[in-house]
Amino acid sequence: MFYRPESIDEALALKSRLGAHGTFLAGGTDLVVGIRKEKTRVEHFIDLTRIAGLDGVYRDRDRLRIGALCTHAALEREAITALADACETVGGPQIRNLGTIGGQLGTASPAGDVSVALIALDADCEIASVRGTRTIALADLFVGPGRTVLSPDEMLLSVSIAADRKSAFYKIGKRDAVAISLVMAAASVAPDGAVSIGLGCVAPVPLRARLAEAHVREHGLSDDAIERAAELAMSEASPISDHRGSAEYRRAMCATLVRRLLRGLR
Amino acid sequence: MTDASTLEPLSFSLNGRPVTVDVDPRETLFDTLRERLRQTGTKGACLEGECGSCTVLLDGEPVTSCLVMALQVAGREVVTIEGIAESSQLSALQAAFVRAGAVQCGYCTPGLIVSATALLKKNPRPSEDEVRRGLAGNLCRCTGYNKIVDAVLDASREGEELSETGTAGARA
Ligand SMILES: Cc1cc2nc3c(=O)[nH]c(=O)nc-3n(C[C@H](O)[C@H](O)[C@H](O)COP(=O)(O)OP(=O)(O)OC[C@H]3O[C@@H](n4cnc5c(N)ncnc54)[C@H](O)[C@@H]3O)c2cc1C
Ligand code: FES
Ligand code: FES
Repeated sequence: MFYRPESIDEALALKSRLGAHGTFLAGGTDLVVGIRKEKTRVEHFIDLTRIAGLDGVYRDRDRLRIGALCTHAALEREAITALADACETVGGPQIRNLGTIGGQLGTASPAGDVSVALIALDADCEIASVRGTRTIALADLFVGPGRTVLSPDEMLLSVSIAADRKSAFYKIGKRDAVAISLVMAAASVAPDGAVSIGLGCVAPVPLRARLAEAHVREHGLSDDAIERAAELAMSEASPISDHRGSAEYRRAMCATLVRRLLRGLR
Repeated sequence: MTDASTLEPLSFSLNGRPVTVDVDPRETLFDTLRERLRQTGTKGACLEGECGSCTVLLDGEPVTSCLVMALQVAGREVVTIEGIAESSQLSALQAAFVRAGAVQCGYCTPGLIVSATALLKKNPRPSEDEVRRGLAGNLCRCTGYNKIVDAVLDASREGEELSETGTAGARA
């Protein structure tokens, strides 16, 4: 069956009834590719794209709340540098017009550019089911490649990020458009000096570099502190070798990107 | 593809005209356009969003039709390459592609014309870099892209001249 709920409540009721037999569909840029490659089987589609109001972006004091159905195209014009730059690197224009934040997080890919930028912006995500809603740190959503902590009846409603921070996103890959990143990193610095760092393609999940963050929180952004933070970030990474690059190369680039990001943000 | 599962009626606007067609809930818009509606101007190669040859406009925005599920377009507006030129005349952009030699085997051309049409509508006077980024989701194995970029820039200049003289030339 192909369900087309028109409200969040309707979607949650369907998901509660269908559980793992129902699959949310947003932009389809991961799901339809997965079906095509016979990696995913879908019994019942629950198309979320008819739900009004889930694609908005709302300012709430120093936070920005982004609806799960907000597309990458809509966010590439946002004033938050790391978010806009990450969204701009996703696929080509056609993919950015389809692909959504909720889908990006639902896919839980360690190569998700936008996931890494959101982590670096101290993101929380709001999760709902017929049982109620809960909010968790975004970095805690991901369990492994393609796996999240969402229960079979739950749905991502929105992501909330720090809106007033200086931030940046860097990505190393073979080609600007339509290419999976080799390594990417993003960071933000709050007015009070708190730093958040996200890393991609260097662990089974989009990673928050907590040790590196703690080090700069304590020691500031001096050259020495940045050098140590880059080493810590490298130690937190557990990359694999594949046809795109070796683990050693990824680890080294991880340090390079963190160094470059933090220098640029002080 | 049609066995086991039952067909469902789908109504949407295709190139400005309302259509209703029975589709399999598991088929993509690409399948519906080509196999059921016989609109074969839309091409497909990778069927995984990588090449852009299947690009159509969905509510005015370019998307890869191979990644859109057919039933998602209910009540929405789809424009394919068949809907780009008004009447049998080439659009200014299509004519510029011919002039610039931007068409070799031609397989990528419908997708590129659709993407470039959307680009020029949003940004009538793009820089070369903006053209390249606007077309980054469309692959071409033949031309090396330069002639395609030239054609789009050429059409954008022409669109400007025509609109300055007040004729209906800004169609591209
Ligand atoms: C050619 C191509 C290039 C790409 N390039 C990049 C790139 O450079 N960088 C990058 O990061 N990504 C890239 N992607 C991946 C993709 O575009 C993103 O991950 C996108 O954000 C997925 O969103 P979607 O709406 O299309 O998700 P869908 O495919 O609709 O869904 C993906 C998964 O999330 C689940 N889901 C969707 N919405 C929700 C929700 N609200 N709550 C719970 N679960 C949900 C679905 O059930 C599914 O499992 C690319 C994809 C393609 C096809
Ligand atoms: S066929 Fe759709 S993008 Fe290649
Ligand atoms: S002209 Fe042959 S693929 Fe572009």
